[in-house]
Amino acid sequence: MSALLQYLISGIATGCAFALVATGFVTIHRVTGVVNFAQGGFAILAGYVTFSALRAGLPHGVSELLAVLLATAAGGVVGVISIGRRGTPLLASLIITIGLGFLFYAVEVAIWGDQPLQFEGVPGVFSLAGLTLQRQYLLIVAGAVVSFAALLLFFNRTYLGKIFTACASNAYAARLAGINVTRVGIAAFAVGGLLGGLAGVLLLPLRSLTFDSDVDLAVNGFAAAIFGGLQRPGAALVGGLVIGVAEALVAGYSHASYQKGVSLVLIVGILVWQASRRAQAD
Amino acid sequence: MTTVLRSRFLRPSSVLIAGVALASLLLPPLLDSGKQTVFVLFTLYVVVTVGLSLLMGLAGQISLGQAAFYALGAYTAGLLAKHGLPQLLALAAAPVGSAVVATLIGVPVLRLRGHYLAFATLAFQLIVLTILAEARGITGGDIGLGGIPPLLPVLNQGQDSELDLNSPLVYCYVGWLVAALVIVLTRNLVRSRPGRGLRALATSEIGAAASGVAVGADKLKVFTISAAYAGLAGGVYAFFLEYLSPGSFPILLSIQFIVMATLGGLGEVWGAVLGAAVIVLLVQVLQAAASQPGLPRQAPAILSYAAYGGVMVLVMLFLPAGLLPTLRQRLSRGRG
Repeated sequence: MSALLQYLISGIATGCAFALVATGFVTIHRVTGVVNFAQGGFAILAGYVTFSALRAGLPHGVSELLAVLLATAAGGVVGVISIGRRGTPLLASLIITIGLGFLFYAVEVAIWGDQPLQFEGVPGVFSLAGLTLQRQYLLIVAGAVVSFAALLLFFNRTYLGKIFTACASNAYAARLAGINVTRVGIAAFAVGGLLGGLAGVLLLPLRSLTFDSDVDLAVNGFAAAIFGGLQRPGAALVGGLVIGVAEALVAGYSHASYQKGVSLVLIVGILVWQASRRAQAD
Repeated sequence: MTTVLRSRFLRPSSVLIAGVALASLLLPPLLDSGKQTVFVLFTLYVVVTVGLSLLMGLAGQISLGQAAFYALGAYTAGLLAKHGLPQLLALAAAPVGSAVVATLIGVPVLRLRGHYLAFATLAFQLIVLTILAEARGITGGDIGLGGIPPLLPVLNQGQDSELDLNSPLVYCYVGWLVAALVIVLTRNLVRSRPGRGLRALATSEIGAAASGVAVGADKLKVFTISAAYAGLAGGVYAFFLEYLSPGSFPILLSIQFIVMATLGGLGEVWGAVLGAAVIVLLVQVLQAAASQPGLPRQAPAILSYAAYGGVMVLVMLFLPAGLLPTLRQRLSRGRG
């Protein structure tokens, strides 16, 4: 029983981080239609920056903030390159994001090498129902809750957020209303970078940091994002939690190497399910 | 409409094709055996890239798991031949195996509008790599699958004039033959009725559907064909190396195929050949450059990531049609 609780809590924590990555996918895809393959890279970049900032003697908090800001900027740059040029077709934008993901690799290996690194999150443990758990789990959940609340306020209560929604629901009408859709798309990429960066600084202290672990994060995030058909942030949150918990349970009760398979099988399963629903709707 | 299509798919003159064919036939004996291996791999990359280029150029879909179909073909051929099936039959089974699996994935995923195939194929490749590594009893796991019998016979065995046909040089021509077969097949396919439908599909999905093109079915066909090509190339690869391991089919290989296809020009048969040639040469140059003394240990990785990423970004931004169509346009403009 206590083992089950342990898996549930660690699953919810990692699930929250996956949900942040997933929301980055959703935010970008809603506004621009682009599936951003560099999404996992934002998290890894933020992790590396935090590592270096801590090494340089900056305190916790400042280091993480710096990393998230840099990830946001990186998101903006990816946006400018992939959709900034007028008339770039969707397939081209998608290939550009793959290419930029590899340029991330080149930069990261050049600066931080190809060996796994580790940086510290919140030290210490807490007890709950007789279990000893890492404090970092609490931080991840709190960070995700605050982020989702902020996103909710942003999309529903701010002018810029409403512009995002306008572009997502009808880009043509938004353009007629005087909105620069391309610029909003680039802003969406920046928000995607911010969310990816947040996921990175929150989750990566629990894992080792390697340049190509972005594939794992991106695949999990994408699997969570397609819970809502790449359109609904709320469904992405649910998807992230489901995947996080399912992975923790699989890793706990069977073999750890099957853990990765969870999101992969879910991706294929959800796509098949959505396709069959679509076939019925047709 | 027809003029647009014809000019877009204008064929390079037959003189040029004959020249390329002749040069590529004369080249292998001039290479040392290491470079011959590179040549064999080049011909196999051409086969895979032609299929991927069709998928991306005609169906507008992208597969990040083409190396998985390559791996499936390789393991299909390798396992069947190892367990006693005649080698040619095992080789013929390779594309079939990959095509069947592609159909199973494609039927649901291609029904969805948008770029779901990209992540579905990426997930598929990760699943395939996991299975190949875990199913130790069948595939040999991470240690690999050895003991695949050679494709070609040994002539005059036991005599002084014994001649083993399984040399890199002979495989250069096996690969050449397979690539030529695939190129001819694809050119005919592109010009056939389904091919014309697919070209219409690439221009406008709604327009094509309104004109009676079975959009979903045709997309599925191209995806299946591209997987079959990858499987065929994988089959030859299995016999050429006589050893397979999951590590030979990384995600990076799938990306490499995408780079080759986009560089050459999407939907262009000869573009795929050109793209594969340029990237293979570029990789050779990079390897030579990265092995210079005084460079850090990670230099090869940094250079290849930067090259792949840079080529993808720059080609998509500044040469969206790809090398071959751009070159052709320059030439015809210069002439006119």
